[in-house]
Amino acid sequence: MTDATQGTTSAPAVETRELWKTFGEGETAVHAVQNVTVAIQPGEFVALCGPSGSGKTTLVNLIGGLTNPTRGTAKVDGRDVGAMSERERAQLRLERIGFVFQAYNLLPVLTALENAEFPLMLRGVEREERRKEVMELFEHIGLGGLQDRRPGALSGGQQQRVAVARAVLGAPALVLADEPTANLDTAASDALLEVMELLNEERKVTFIFCTHDPRVMRRARRIIRLVDGHVERDEEKASGDLPGWVLEPVGT
Amino acid sequence: MTERWVIVARIGLRNVRRQLRRSLLTASAMVLGIALLMFVRALEGGAHLMYVDTATRMGTGHIAMEHPDYRGSQDLMDRIAAPDLERILAAADRSVAAGELVAVFPQVNVGGLAQSASSSIPVRISGVDPGLERDVSFFADKMVEGRYLEVGDRLEAIVGAEVAQRLRLELGSRLVLMAAGAGGELESQLVFVTGIFRSGVPEVDRGVVQLPLATAREWLEVGEDATSVSVILASDNRTGEIASEIQGHLREGGVEAERLAVRPWWEAMPDLYAGLRADAVQTYVMLVILLAIVALAVVNSILMAVLNRTREFGVLRALGLNRTSVGAMVMVEGLVLTLASGVAGMLLGLAISMGLFRDGVDISFLFGGELAFAGSVVDPVILPAVLVSDVVAILSIVVSIGILATLYPAWHATRIEPAEAMKTDE
Ligand SMILES: Nc1ncnc2c1ncn2[C@@H]1O[C@H](COP(=O)(O)OP(=O)(O)OP(=O)(O)O)[C@@H](O)[C@H]1O
Ligand SMILES: [Mg+2]
Repeated sequence: MTDATQGTTSAPAVETRELWKTFGEGETAVHAVQNVTVAIQPGEFVALCGPSGSGKTTLVNLIGGLTNPTRGTAKVDGRDVGAMSERERAQLRLERIGFVFQAYNLLPVLTALENAEFPLMLRGVEREERRKEVMELFEHIGLGGLQDRRPGALSGGQQQRVAVARAVLGAPALVLADEPTANLDTAASDALLEVMELLNEERKVTFIFCTHDPRVMRRARRIIRLVDGHVERDEEKASGDLPGWVLEPVGT
Repeated sequence: MTERWVIVARIGLRNVRRQLRRSLLTASAMVLGIALLMFVRALEGGAHLMYVDTATRMGTGHIAMEHPDYRGSQDLMDRIAAPDLERILAAADRSVAAGELVAVFPQVNVGGLAQSASSSIPVRISGVDPGLERDVSFFADKMVEGRYLEVGDRLEAIVGAEVAQRLRLELGSRLVLMAAGAGGELESQLVFVTGIFRSGVPEVDRGVVQLPLATAREWLEVGEDATSVSVILASDNRTGEIASEIQGHLREGGVEAERLAVRPWWEAMPDLYAGLRADAVQTYVMLVILLAIVALAVVNSILMAVLNRTREFGVLRALGLNRTSVGAMVMVEGLVLTLASGVAGMLLGLAISMGLFRDGVDISFLFGGELAFAGSVVDPVILPAVLVSDVVAILSIVVSIGILATLYPAWHATRIEPAEAMKTDE
């Protein structure tokens, strides 16, 4: 079973160097990510914020190897994701990374339970063990009793929680979560955030959230703000604080 | 690792069910196409069995034995001597189980002339043993006037309907047969017409005369010899094996290949065999073209299913499923669909062939009357027969369609880029 404490310990969990992603060419080119250089250490709890279209999703996709950089490098555990083969990338995602996608993206033919346990299953975790883990987590985040429903029979917020469960089960080294609380009320998002904080503290799981949600930013211990694909600000802070600048309009 | 394939298969299967309407539409094209192929081949196979049955019962047998040179020379010099005849009967006895054997009979065949009071024509003259042949001979079933030869007949003969017409023969008419005897001299024999047959094969009806074997032997001075020995079997399934077994026993018994050729019917009647083969190949080519069109529909439908789920494949890839597994998932889906409908089509074809048309299909409306072909003939009422070889061939066609139709969509699924895919709207 994968654990955050395994792997290359000295390297940063995530490191990008002069990373660029450009969509299209010439006149119509969109520089979604421009010259981003950041290092995130194992066990960090980072919020990635910025206006819509500022490149948050593109950046986490680059880190997870879901898309290739136009220039520069993105490393996970010290390994250059862009230089890996497709197979190695699939392996890396499977063993080291948990994803929460912006639009949940559950598999419609699988039940909530099967969706959540999917990565564990691929990693070869025993059926008994993974069912136990899923059920425990479901209970915790308010999904108790919903395990046999297909996504079509769940509300948006419930689907989102299943998607988060899928990402964090088995405590992967790195969780990339794109707007994990967008559809949730305060109670539900607090429950999720508590689970994630616990994983972060006890198992040193590194979290990177793309978010507009002040509740998430308040709990984060580092905030990176993107504007037009650039890193505009990158500051550490104490958990619980909410620096004034995150709420200010961009450019002031 | 095995769990991965379980989940891959499970998702593939659930996707078939999820798109049930599409699946059923695709499947129905396959089911009908395969059922049609099955039925058409069953009809053709049935007709072929009947052609073979007729041809063997016209005297060649399933296994034909003669001197290797006789086919070319048609000369009584190249005949089977009486002691070898004994050995052949013994070998046949040892090689064929009682239930498999219908008849073994020697014949004396010779080309000659038939002359009546009015004119003469060339004919093929067969000396046959009525005791051995009357229950199996095709001619015995095809008498239109008079009767077939009987045990004890001496100067009786049966002739084809055209022979009778050309020579103006009636029952009881005198007929003189002339042929070169074993001594090389032209010999003649007087016989009386006791029966007229119409087989349906033009070359037979206008050129065959049969008389008792004993009479022929005496007339042609061949003693107890024969020009051929034929074995008729209860079924054609083991003809090849039995032929080589007989050959083996004969070789052990000292009857060498230079003295005796043992031929299964397809070697003894190569024209018939080639004709039947060409017929089957033609049917397959036609129907495989038809099925290729069906396969295109299957490709289209599976490809649509993949394109509609681009996003899901993106998610699977993003979660760490590799390209191979994603491709396998599509293969499972496509193969289940094609194999299930292919097998259903085969069962439907079987039901149509052996159930609905169990009593035969009358195709006389197509051809009117009997169908003569390469020296053989069948009734216009064809009994469908599903041959094992056809089942195997059709099953492999089904599997090929499944694989070919699924390959491209599967490949396409492996090419999906996760980040792009997850952005697309479903
Ligand atoms: N495949 C693509 N082709 C062209 N442009 C793209 C593509 N993907 C993203 N972009 C553009 O790149 C920019 C960054 O997009 P991205 O999705 O990363 O923003 P985001 O910060 O995640 O926004 P949001 O908060 O709305 O999710 C946007 O201008 C977007 O239009
Ligand atoms: Mg986004």
